[in-house]
Amino acid sequence: MAEGESSVAEQEPSVAEPRTIDHYLHTDRFPHIWCPGCGLGTVTAAFLRAALELGLEKDRTVVVAGIGCSSRAVGYLDFGTVHSIHGRALAFATGIKMAHPEFTVIVLTGDGDGAAIGGNHLIHACRRNLDITTILFNNNTYGMTGGQASPQTGMGGYATTAPFGFDEPSFDLCRLAEAAGATYVARGTSYGVRQLQKLIRDGITHPGFSFIEAVTQCPTEYGKRNPPKGPVQMLENLKEKAISRKKAEGMTPEELEGRIVTGLLHRDESVPELTASYARMLERIRKSADE
Amino acid sequence: MSEAPAMTDGLLSSRPYVEVRFGGSGGQGVILMGVILAVAGTRDRRHVVQTQSYGPEARGGYSRSDVVLANAPIDYPQIQGLDLLVALSAEAARKYAGSLRRDGFFIFDSDEITSPPPMDANSYGIPFTRLAVETTGRTQTTNILALGAVAGLTGVVSVASLEKAVLSMVPKGTEEMNLNALRRGLALLPEEWKRPSI
Amino acid sequence: MELWYTHLMRETIDQDSLLVQGNRACALGALDAGVRFFAGYPITPSSEIMEVMARELPAVGGVFMQMEDEIASICACIGASLTGEISMTATSGPGFSLMQEAIGYAIMAEAPTVIVNVMRMGPSTGRPTTPSQGDVMQARWGTHGDHPAIVLAASNVADMYRLTIAAVRFAQRFRMPVIVLADEIVGHMRESFSPEIAGRYRLTSGDFDFTETYIHPEMVREVHPPHELGTLIHPHVTGLIHDETGFPTNDPKKSEQFLRELHDKVVHHRGELCLYDVKNVGKGRVAVVAYGSCARSARAALKLAEQEGIPVEVLHLYTLFPLPVEIIQELARRVEFILIPELNLGQYAREVRRLAENWTTVVSMGRIDGNLITPRDIVDRLAELVGKYESA
Repeated sequence: MAEGESSVAEQEPSVAEPRTIDHYLHTDRFPHIWCPGCGLGTVTAAFLRAALELGLEKDRTVVVAGIGCSSRAVGYLDFGTVHSIHGRALAFATGIKMAHPEFTVIVLTGDGDGAAIGGNHLIHACRRNLDITTILFNNNTYGMTGGQASPQTGMGGYATTAPFGFDEPSFDLCRLAEAAGATYVARGTSYGVRQLQKLIRDGITHPGFSFIEAVTQCPTEYGKRNPPKGPVQMLENLKEKAISRKKAEGMTPEELEGRIVTGLLHRDESVPELTASYARMLERIRKSADE
Repeated sequence: MSEAPAMTDGLLSSRPYVEVRFGGSGGQGVILMGVILAVAGTRDRRHVVQTQSYGPEARGGYSRSDVVLANAPIDYPQIQGLDLLVALSAEAARKYAGSLRRDGFFIFDSDEITSPPPMDANSYGIPFTRLAVETTGRTQTTNILALGAVAGLTGVVSVASLEKAVLSMVPKGTEEMNLNALRRGLALLPEEWKRPSI
Repeated sequence: MELWYTHLMRETIDQDSLLVQGNRACALGALDAGVRFFAGYPITPSSEIMEVMARELPAVGGVFMQMEDEIASICACIGASLTGEISMTATSGPGFSLMQEAIGYAIMAEAPTVIVNVMRMGPSTGRPTTPSQGDVMQARWGTHGDHPAIVLAASNVADMYRLTIAAVRFAQRFRMPVIVLADEIVGHMRESFSPEIAGRYRLTSGDFDFTETYIHPEMVREVHPPHELGTLIHPHVTGLIHDETGFPTNDPKKSEQFLRELHDKVVHHRGELCLYDVKNVGKGRVAVVAYGSCARSARAALKLAEQEGIPVEVLHLYTLFPLPVEIIQELARRVEFILIPELNLGQYAREVRRLAENWTTVVSMGRIDGNLITPRDIVDRLAELVGKYESA
């Protein structure tokens, strides 16, 4: 497959000036669809700064998204981009990565797209440990369809489909990913953008399935119905609730209630990455056929 | 199709269109009998279609395998009137005997089927299981022994093709044993096992 | 020179004779057509296709993936297809239902892939090991929205091989998913056939060419250029209505133009897509139109009817959609009535009726008990109809 094919890297002109994230953006597609105060652009920018740091090649990088506000990011990105169907971004990405292991494959998804309709694909992608980096934008709601409850709305949260308060618990998505087999798991927030950028960068370089939960704010839909109101207040709330993994280690579950534990939460380099082990299997088969 | 090699003399080899059914219960190797016959038929340069039907259980449920062999391309793939019914269970004999043509062959395991349905067809009752144990010590070779008997009594496929088919289909290491079973089946004399028609 | 049907030829039993199971033949056709990516999920009665691919694909350097469900399977196939890989999946009714949304995506994004549906009795779990042709209209209209469809139907083991190849070629050429319908009988039967017949089908516009040159390098505008990831143009692929840049548009004029182009690329090439065979052309008072297993019954019925003095024409369709409009209308002008035996309650008969009713009477003959329609059933019905029309 990929082997033996010419891998023509895009010839980028050498530039003296440092690049900005505009390098990876279709700025002609702006204005974007996100509301004022929305955190999705902040998370996307953190990803793009990580991409700049790594010097990702536009032509060797494929960004796959599902459906929802966060997934619309791919409409502005100047990589190979796939705006797929609701919940299935990881399944598309699996096909792309297996067919072309040399591509850097990034999946952008949301809490509805990734944890509800796409939850089954998420756990199986974690289990396979395919070298895909998944950034899950968690804004606790379905923003695009008008503020319905998502699995991450949380007990007591209000939504158009939970007018009397949501009475279902949420996932701890990072623990879910770790339990399912992801070999790099991290969490950041749209307040802590430098930390988020670093977590995403390390996730992309990690050879295996990386899961990064980016907790962010939706002032228009979630914030309208749940305190605190307003984007600034929501960001301050993220700042207050965020706590590093190190600090969290010494705390009781009661003390941790309502906090957002951030940072690198899990990393395991011992599990074989799928495209690599598949390539080894092909090699074994080729050798035994030669004999 | 190209020229057919010489076949065993017998009634079914001369029929241009032959319909065969193997019936029994799961675990008796009935499906494999059909597949081996189909391979042998293909080697004989016949056009062949093999279909099967079985219950959900791997063992004990009903199991049947149908083979159509013809000198011209086969349109309808299923059974319209049987030329040969091979029954390894009483249920199969009871269920399928009605599909047999008057000039057909009915071959059954006389250990399993003690009161065969009355019919005009040429009937042969043979204790396949007992003969298989006598020959190879293994009941698992019953189906191959029965296939030998079927080819010997009816000429539905040539002996050479059947031997090759058996060798290509049985598990590695069991070729010798299965060939012994097959040859024992082939050596059975029609007059010894023929039942009077009713 | 190496034969293009190398995988098939490995199945030879003796010189040039073959005996292959239908599902296996389908997988071999895929391999010979260049399929190098397969993602699937086990389901009776199609699992053997997947099992053969699991064994054979790695040996040719391809990718085999067992996914978590049929939705993931087709999505992975589309993903691989977007990188230029030739991909395929296989399933049966329940899995085919799950795939529908993604089939629409593949149509919209013009991503070529092949979906084989070995039909079983439905709805729901139905009878998994029992043949049916109940998914014909689902294959045509299963995904939402106005969309084109290319649907082929296999009637024997040789078809399983050569129609899979045709499906791969059509998918690549027209840049869309192509559906191959088989049924449990065809999927599970073993059948001998000569490799020579893997060669050709009759077409309205001449014979179908299986060789690789079939995929013309320069596409006419009717078929969009591929959105291939990793080819320097880093495209945007979306299921939203989009314009020629690949980016979404809400412009009514562009929306209509795009959707019409999707249809036109199929409809304008009907002559190339409609594979069929006709027996006894112009000699029948009546005609039988059939596909899949029922076409075999119809072919056998033709011989039986001849013996009984009923002149019959048989139209055996390998392409169900796009509808072979001209072929059916020509036939309708020639005969007094058309009988359509199907293992459903007349799904395709309705299509034929609306094409043919200006010229002839179309009679549906459906069977849904899990058994095939026998040649005798067809001849009896023909005799009944001829008698009826004579006395009328």
